Amino acid sequence: MDYQIQVENLSFSYDLKKVLEQIDMKITKGSLFCIVGPNGSGKSTLLKVISSALKPKKGVVYLENRNINNIKGKALAQLLSFVPQNTSLEFDFKVSDVVLMGRYPYVNKLRGETKEDIDIAEMAMQYTNTTHLKERNFMELSGGERQRVILAQALAQEPEVLILDEPVSHLDLQHQVEILNLIKRMCVDKKLTAITVLHDLNMASAYSDYIVMMKEGAVRYQGTPYDTLTASNIKEIFNTDVYVSVSPVGNKPYIYALARTKIEKKGIRVHIICGGGSGSEIIGKLHSEGFDLSSGVLTIGDLDWKISKENDVQIAEEVPFVGISEEAYKKNRELAVNADIVLLTGLYFGKSNIKNLELLLEEGLRSKPLLILGDESFEERDYTGGTAIQLYEKIKDRDKVILSEGRVLSEEILKAVDAYGEK
Amino acid sequence: MEKNKGKSWQVLIILIVLLGISLLLSAAVGAVKITPYEIFDILTKGADTVNASILMDIRLPRVLLAAVIGAGLAAVGGVMQSIFKNPLVDSYTLGMSSGAALGAVISIITGINASIMGFDTTGLFAFIGAVCTLFFVYSLAYTRSRMSINSLLLAGVAVSYFLASVISFLMMLNHDKIEHIVFWTMGSLSMATWDEFYISSFFIIPSLMVLFYYTRELNILVMGEDAAHHLGINTAALKNILLITCALIVGTVVSTGGTIAFLGLVAPHIIRLVVGSDNKKVIPYSALLGAILLVLSDTAGRVLIQPAEIPVGVMTSIMGGPFFIFLLRKQKMK
Repeated sequence: MDYQIQVENLSFSYDLKKVLEQIDMKITKGSLFCIVGPNGSGKSTLLKVISSALKPKKGVVYLENRNINNIKGKALAQLLSFVPQNTSLEFDFKVSDVVLMGRYPYVNKLRGETKEDIDIAEMAMQYTNTTHLKERNFMELSGGERQRVILAQALAQEPEVLILDEPVSHLDLQHQVEILNLIKRMCVDKKLTAITVLHDLNMASAYSDYIVMMKEGAVRYQGTPYDTLTASNIKEIFNTDVYVSVSPVGNKPYIYALARTKIEKKGIRVHIICGGGSGSEIIGKLHSEGFDLSSGVLTIGDLDWKISKENDVQIAEEVPFVGISEEAYKKNRELAVNADIVLLTGLYFGKSNIKNLELLLEEGLRSKPLLILGDESFEERDYTGGTAIQLYEKIKDRDKVILSEGRVLSEEILKAVDAYGEK
Repeated sequence: MEKNKGKSWQVLIILIVLLGISLLLSAAVGAVKITPYEIFDILTKGADTVNASILMDIRLPRVLLAAVIGAGLAAVGGVMQSIFKNPLVDSYTLGMSSGAALGAVISIITGINASIMGFDTTGLFAFIGAVCTLFFVYSLAYTRSRMSINSLLLAGVAVSYFLASVISFLMMLNHDKIEHIVFWTMGSLSMATWDEFYISSFFIIPSLMVLFYYTRELNILVMGEDAAHHLGINTAALKNILLITCALIVGTVVSTGGTIAFLGLVAPHIIRLVVGSDNKKVIPYSALLGAILLVLSDTAGRVLIQPAEIPVGVMTSIMGGPFFIFLLRKQKMK
């Protein structure tokens, strides 16, 4: 098989500390190859060895079937260019001068830059959309613009391989996307092979053809984003619980970090009447603040149901499209009765979930504090032809009802429990 | 780009004209005034007057020596600032000048300042002193394959002080040679001879050519050593060549003129303000400006408090010190 870069049995150590151990990789021409892993896993060192800035202790890196350590100076620079995390210059240069430096491996020292060199630099600037910055000083530019100029310099080098060390780590979202789009385009248009370290797994998933996952100096997994970016692999490599789903755009794995800060439990149970996404944010927030939660009645597969599942919330659940069965209703009542406070979120009411409102008028729940969110929009959310609003008016006439705008929800809950609670 | 090119040609022409004027001015003024007219006459026809011998034996070698030394120091400053990517670096702040001075002082007090084949060994000692100090300071600042520019400057200043006190100590022990030693530490051109001018030119002018030859690489070095490596430059070799060339210039300068501070800081900075940071221009233009500034400083030192003379090293320090502080503040504000 014809690989552009092959890494065979590579090991590297600084002094006595082993940094890389027995790394094997094969990289196809024109692919975007991404290395991920926690800090200190040896990613940057691996890039340095691949680009021959460091010599391996064992093993070989082949670039187009030649040992990269046998390709010297300018000849190597004509094949491979490197883009660092960020570049700052103590002495300022004009953007056009910085880009033209990319021609150094081709320039005859005595003759200087030729017309051809200048044309290639101009083309590189056009490609990276930096032509308009040409006369500006490099250090006046924003981080994203600078990185585009450095990419133009790399492009002016006319390499076969582009090596990038966290090229977007310092940039805001817009510029991250801009730079990664540009790199991807270079891979496709110019058949450039890009090897990059990225921190953001979702960016890695969206842009890479191939992903290598490293930990403690060794490659643990490699393959397509689908093969590698699984919840169990990520747990192993990053020691973090994640939820992996499929990105609705691009059909690539999408990773959600599950934010579970360890907060002291408040010992207060909140029962949340929600559904259709009306409770998702509230569940996440209250859970992270240490409330015990229950929710109901939720249809299986509903967004609030998913969020409840992920946050260890007790659920009164029901299969879709059948309304609320007696069993689910009872479960919901049981959860509500045992809670310290009940929360009614801004959910829509139709025939299938009207029973969630009826529940709140039950005798057993009369003494429970009830916090209502989204009072002003209730009428718009009534799809029962008026039944719901009638029930709602009655509920509002009950004791211990608080209308809330939800801005300081947890404080309001604590206050209500304090004032009306049975404790 | 074209506009800038035009501008930089103008700057070059202005610098050359200024150098001519300052050489002429410096040759003209002094205890005895010699008109430019007369200078021209003496130079073309030769004459046997007192003025002619003052010009040919005393002033001209001194003026030309100042020009060569000034050019060397300023170019060294510009090159070292690019290598270390910091505008506060020069041969003086890194302790090279003090090292060279100590080398020269040692050669004087041990009495091994004999000439070997026409070359003064004091110069050789100064060169060795400069190289040793440079690499010592460099290794102090270089820890775990990383160099911190702050520790480089601190190490440079600390080593400078240390060497200066060693020189003072040696002066104390050698009262008889104190005058001679003070001359080195203050920096003075009052003893200039044609021989000194020839020897300095012999070392400095080819060294300057070496520095000019590598200005394209110097530009790329500013991008960082990794970037330079990936553009195909052997950075370690390049730095060694450049630094040893710089040490050769500094050693030569110190052995003929003593330690002359701040010139290497001021000249490149002024040039960068005018033509930008492109070393293809900065290094040669700085050399020209350095020549102009040192010729003028030396002339000022000669005429300001006649009949006494202010050593040129004192003149450059008086002007350069405040400038250094200004640069330091400007950098802080960034």
